Amino acid sequence: MSLRRDVHSAFDQITPSMGGLPERVVQTVLSEGATRRRREKMLFRIRAPLSLVAVLLLIVLVAAVFVGGRIVQDWNALHKSSPAGQSNQSQLAELEARPLQLPVLKAATECNTGPWNSDGTVGSGPLSIYGGLGPRTSWGTYWNNVFYTDQQIAGPIVVRVRDVVNNVNVVFVGKYAAGPVVGADTLNGTRVQQHAELVLYANNAALVTVNPPSKPHAFVWGFTVGVPNDSTGSTGWQVDGMGFSEVFLSC
Amino acid sequence: MQRVADVKPSSASQQVSESTFADLLKPLIEPGFRLALAMLHDAQAAEDAVQEASFTAWRKLGRMRDQGRLRPWFLGVVANKCRNARRKRWVVEVSVGVPEELPAISLEERTLRGTDLRRAISRLSHDDRLVVVLYFYLDMPVDEVATVAGTSVGATRARLYRAIKKLRPDVAIEEALR
Repeated sequence: MSLRRDVHSAFDQITPSMGGLPERVVQTVLSEGATRRRREKMLFRIRAPLSLVAVLLLIVLVAAVFVGGRIVQDWNALHKSSPAGQSNQSQLAELEARPLQLPVLKAATECNTGPWNSDGTVGSGPLSIYGGLGPRTSWGTYWNNVFYTDQQIAGPIVVRVRDVVNNVNVVFVGKYAAGPVVGADTLNGTRVQQHAELVLYANNAALVTVNPPSKPHAFVWGFTVGVPNDSTGSTGWQVDGMGFSEVFLSC
Repeated sequence: MQRVADVKPSSASQQVSESTFADLLKPLIEPGFRLALAMLHDAQAAEDAVQEASFTAWRKLGRMRDQGRLRPWFLGVVANKCRNARRKRWVVEVSVGVPEELPAISLEERTLRGTDLRRAISRLSHDDRLVVVLYFYLDMPVDEVATVAGTSVGATRARLYRAIKKLRPDVAIEEALR
């Protein structure tokens, strides 16, 4: 049996009688044709404005995504400015060029720590500092300190420290230590470079806020400062940022 | 090659009279229904497809350039309606719409073979199924099948051969085409 005959047989089995079907179909078309045509015309008229609305919605959606993206980008740029950015580099150079305005004292006995703030820590703001004794080496004494602030700081902050009696350099090691390398030491078995400055940014503050001394703060930087053996222990601190300059003594 | 379902309206569009329309359309209803039934395996759905195709014909018949090509054009419209109808169906299982059982016991084997073949054809893609039904069931020549399917004769022939291989892998093409 050929495939053609098989196909005919297979479909003939399920083909019902078509008596009257052509007349019925034609009659339905002739009786409903005009009504359907009117309905289709109306649908066509509705479809055009609906398409326009859809296109407008699409445009609005694309514009919203674009504007939203720009807003997010600007927000990130504001809150996560790159430390290595060109504008930061020029700001850093400007802050480092500022002259030190630390007092010069004749003797360590003239040095008084301060100014103190309402937290019970040192600093007139925007930054405040507190800390504790760290490791000792043959070179000198290290202190593990913390700077903190609750203000939004734009750009870098440069911290420089000198002995206010004999002008000996006080150094920084570890995180945030920056600027010229002025020496080296072995700290807890690790060789470290001593830097002349501390450079802080809002976006490299600690992710977890600590609690000095009575409440959490928005931006916290833990750092290590080294005071050489030949220092009198009377240190003057100058903190320079964009739009502010802060000086305090720690004796 | 021009797709028959995309016949362009002539500039001097005109509406055919009701009697002319009936005279032109009536001979096409039966092949249209057979095509739709073979494509959809559902008598009611097939009648709906033919009815919809007839509404389309009513709208466009007066604007056809060549009314001599009415038959392949109309079958092309029916095929499109079947494609749309099948898309709307949730279940693609074979549903013949009429009882499978035949009264005569002697026809049992024939019935089973027919059921198997219909099921195999229903599993073909729409385009493969269309050429098989047009060629083997409506007995149309390949060039007319190509016109309805909107493809070249060569492509239609290749599609037909592929479909035959799927339906009857162990039968030679020449033998199957008889």
